[in-house]
Amino acid sequence: MKTNVIDPTSWDDDARIARGIKLRQQATARRARLLKHVFLIAFSGIMLYPLLWLVASSLKPEDQIFGSLSLWPSEWRWDNYTQGWNALPLSFTVFYKNSAIVTVLSVIGNLLSCSFAAYAFARLQFTGKTLFFGLMMMTMMIPYHVVLIPQYVLFLNLGWVDTYLPLIVPRFLAADGFFVFLMVQFFRQIPRELDEAAMIDGCSPFKIYWAVILPLSLPAMATAAIFSLIWVWEDFLAPLIYLNDINSYTVPLALRLFVDQEGQSAFGQMFAMSVLSLVPVLLFFVAFQKLIIRGIATSGMK
Amino acid sequence: MRRFFRRNAAGYLFLSPWLVGFFLLALGPILASLYLSFTHYDMVSTPRWVGVDNYVYMFDRDRRFWRALSVTFHYVAIAVPLRLAMALAVAMLLDKGLRSIGVYRAIFYLPSLLGASIAIAILWREMFGLNGMVNEALAMIGITGIGWITTPSTSLYTIVILAMWQFGSPMLIFLAGLRGIPRDLYEAAEIDGTPKWRQFFRITLPMLAPVLFFNLVLQTIEAFKTFTSAFVISNGSGAPADSLLFYTVYLFNEAFKFFRMGYASALAWVLLIIIGAFTAVAFATSKYWVHYENERD
Amino acid sequence: MTLNRRKLLQSMTALAAAGALPLPAFAQDRAIRHFWWGNPERDRRTFEVIEGFKAANAGINVTGETIGWGDYWTKMATQTAGGNMADVIQMAHTYIHEYAGRGALRGLNDYVGKGLDLSHYDAGANDVGTIDGQLYGINIGSTSQAIPYNIAAFEKAGISFDPLTWTTDDFAAICQKITDATGGAMTGSEDLSLYIETFEVWCRAAGHDMYNTDGTLAMTAEDVASYWAFWGGLRDAGIVEGKDATVILDKGMADLGIVKGTAAMTFRYANQVGAVQSLMTDPVGAAMVPQRPGMGFGHYVLPSMFLCLTRDSADVEAALAYINNWITNPEAIKILGIDRGIPPSQIGRDTLEPTLSPVEKNVVAYFGGIQDKIGPVPNATPKGAGEVRDAFMRIGTDVVLGYTPADEAAGMFIQDAQDILARAAG
Repeated sequence: MKTNVIDPTSWDDDARIARGIKLRQQATARRARLLKHVFLIAFSGIMLYPLLWLVASSLKPEDQIFGSLSLWPSEWRWDNYTQGWNALPLSFTVFYKNSAIVTVLSVIGNLLSCSFAAYAFARLQFTGKTLFFGLMMMTMMIPYHVVLIPQYVLFLNLGWVDTYLPLIVPRFLAADGFFVFLMVQFFRQIPRELDEAAMIDGCSPFKIYWAVILPLSLPAMATAAIFSLIWVWEDFLAPLIYLNDINSYTVPLALRLFVDQEGQSAFGQMFAMSVLSLVPVLLFFVAFQKLIIRGIATSGMK
Repeated sequence: MRRFFRRNAAGYLFLSPWLVGFFLLALGPILASLYLSFTHYDMVSTPRWVGVDNYVYMFDRDRRFWRALSVTFHYVAIAVPLRLAMALAVAMLLDKGLRSIGVYRAIFYLPSLLGASIAIAILWREMFGLNGMVNEALAMIGITGIGWITTPSTSLYTIVILAMWQFGSPMLIFLAGLRGIPRDLYEAAEIDGTPKWRQFFRITLPMLAPVLFFNLVLQTIEAFKTFTSAFVISNGSGAPADSLLFYTVYLFNEAFKFFRMGYASALAWVLLIIIGAFTAVAFATSKYWVHYENERD
Repeated sequence: MTLNRRKLLQSMTALAAAGALPLPAFAQDRAIRHFWWGNPERDRRTFEVIEGFKAANAGINVTGETIGWGDYWTKMATQTAGGNMADVIQMAHTYIHEYAGRGALRGLNDYVGKGLDLSHYDAGANDVGTIDGQLYGINIGSTSQAIPYNIAAFEKAGISFDPLTWTTDDFAAICQKITDATGGAMTGSEDLSLYIETFEVWCRAAGHDMYNTDGTLAMTAEDVASYWAFWGGLRDAGIVEGKDATVILDKGMADLGIVKGTAAMTFRYANQVGAVQSLMTDPVGAAMVPQRPGMGFGHYVLPSMFLCLTRDSADVEAALAYINNWITNPEAIKILGIDRGIPPSQIGRDTLEPTLSPVEKNVVAYFGGIQDKIGPVPNATPKGAGEVRDAFMRIGTDVVLGYTPADEAAGMFIQDAQDILARAAG
């Protein structure tokens, strides 16, 4: 620590020491940043390993997936992808198209209807608000498996079984309390002065929702869009129960056609198609997560 | 009457999609399951009213019900705090300006994309198996491992690790919350010379409270209802020795494997009451620690 | 997020359109549904049979519905509860009593010979599908218990044995040899302690089924204790897989020691041997479950799958025509192959003979070889049998893990099984 001793007599020294401190601070900051990167990269390795395993398995011949622990395929079976795409009675093109229809409509439905409900809960006064909020929370708590059959009977009587309606309509009716609650929490963080000012300007509640609340909630809406897309895309149980005709199957349902625990399976092709099924959601994630970040920049928040 | 309407019109209008959905699509099935919980129902024959028999049997005779409760409570108590801490830590790490942060964000979200599929079940059994990756790593530091999933006293923790590894969704919500905290608060604190750790407790946590509250409530609900991970990893059985007998796994098997939908409905309503109680407590205490920006109550 | 009202309207219109998308075609006036559990290979074959049937019966449309085994039963239960079962369904012997006993399946006695031609079937081939004198499930593939074994590993260890007459003593000696030959890298066999399917053979060798004709327990604590003790001995000797491989229940193909290369033998039904082979490079053979010294054979022939006509079928005539085409049309039989099991008729087997692959030939040869060593079909399983199976695995796990001695656990299991049957009957 000797070099750190400051000699008050020398101006020159003083300046040099000041520069030294600054350099050292920069070095510390650089080291901290480096450390952070090293940590992040190591951590990424752990996070990525299972995906690597999945990709590796998707490239292995069927009889080597379970026998060897090595990640490196002894021979590269790219045809798992090409054959897998057409291995089922219908090509995956059909399943992707079906999934796309269900997913796009569901995401739109979720964002619209849940933000309506959330705006009502977060900002408007009406009789029965607490009761309705409690009921909404309750719908999230009941295990889905016991409402499955009554719900099936209901949709059967409506004539909706074997159509996409049971998958889509509930999403336009804010059936997923998760998103309502999520948006409520974010809406309540927006300063009230903003809507009050708008109200004094004569804005209707709809105008306030549209022009004040929504633009200021971009991070929340982007988050909801991402979750909604991923969960609908990967949803398995509802399509399983409500879709009968293989022509209407979605991608997750199609993936389940590959593996027969009791008999002949096509694991390599299933892994290959599983990897491919991640691509659309991953692309969407990468595109939309920027909105979570940019949200604050555009909204400014005072 | 007209005044009532005028005062409530906007609220009901905005809530109308939810109201329609709840009363037309959700409420009926929920009430039906409540009714079924008082019946003997094998899903083929007509339900037969048995009064409170299902509930009496559950508390009085059913050892596996208590076992399932215990497994689930253990899991909730361990997994929820760990997962939230993990998600918050990573979100804070990613919030601060590093270049190429988008890449990390995507990578950290990846495991959550994989969900709890058959592939993950196979992988997990391979990784935590007797000759798996985990034991190979332990062998390097001289520890002889065990079959982590196949030993009843450790199997639950492999599911906890899976939950921690898939921290993507709470992380993203934290991140959105962190992004909503005005930067000038931190700048002011910097000028005042407030140390970082105190900034965390003085600014970050209070400003993040609504989001933290959301994550806490939702993660608790989800943890109580944990199904897929335990189901696929134990091949649907809750084995070994019922150590992975999560409540909903038990419920599912009672309903769909053993044709006791009436009893399963009773199980569901008991779980609903338990989760409801936890949530009610969370909401009741929230007024002491969750404050919303400029909001008067 | 630039949503406006017009876009909202558009999406609502699209929503309405999407709802109409998967509606069935209206070209034919009659329509039936066939629901089965499958895999890509089976689905391909089945859809081909459907197409053939539709081509020959222009007035009838058939919708094929398929999903994997595990999900099949969830969907089946839901459709049954909703009164919306497919006209024709595939059934397993583990579930047929549950569905038939509750009235979800239609009795077929009245149709035999009148629309349903079973005259070419082997004697007794439809016994398991007949409950209280009424035929509910038509056998669409026979099978029997089998021990798939790794032929290469057997040869390397210098083992020669007769897969049809070997005993449990031979089995133990072979396990020892294989473990020695590989230095322990590969054990002789998977530990079958928790397989009630092989326990059933063990039980029948002692002269009785697991259940009596009145649905009460026929198996005894001694049966169970001796079975668990036998495997406990092999496990302690280290010549079968260890406890960590054993306590995974209801293993899928991917979990099997024979597939992973950690064991040379396992248990499967004969029709599944080909599936085991497809995941392995070493050749696989089929042996009988080894005989207990001085006792009888425990094997029996059972349908690996049934075709059933359901309660909810609206067009019984069309459904029967479809089923009859399936079991009698040589073209259909050829397309289906032995994927669902071995055809339960000589005509069927003769039709397939020239088309079989080497593995399939082995399976058929195995099946032919055991014909004089099989017993009658077991008594019908009572309601609750599935849960008894679960209890067997759960309590057996405690034995495997060393928590409970075999004889004590056996007593507990019998007690549990009685309670389960009493509750299921009530």
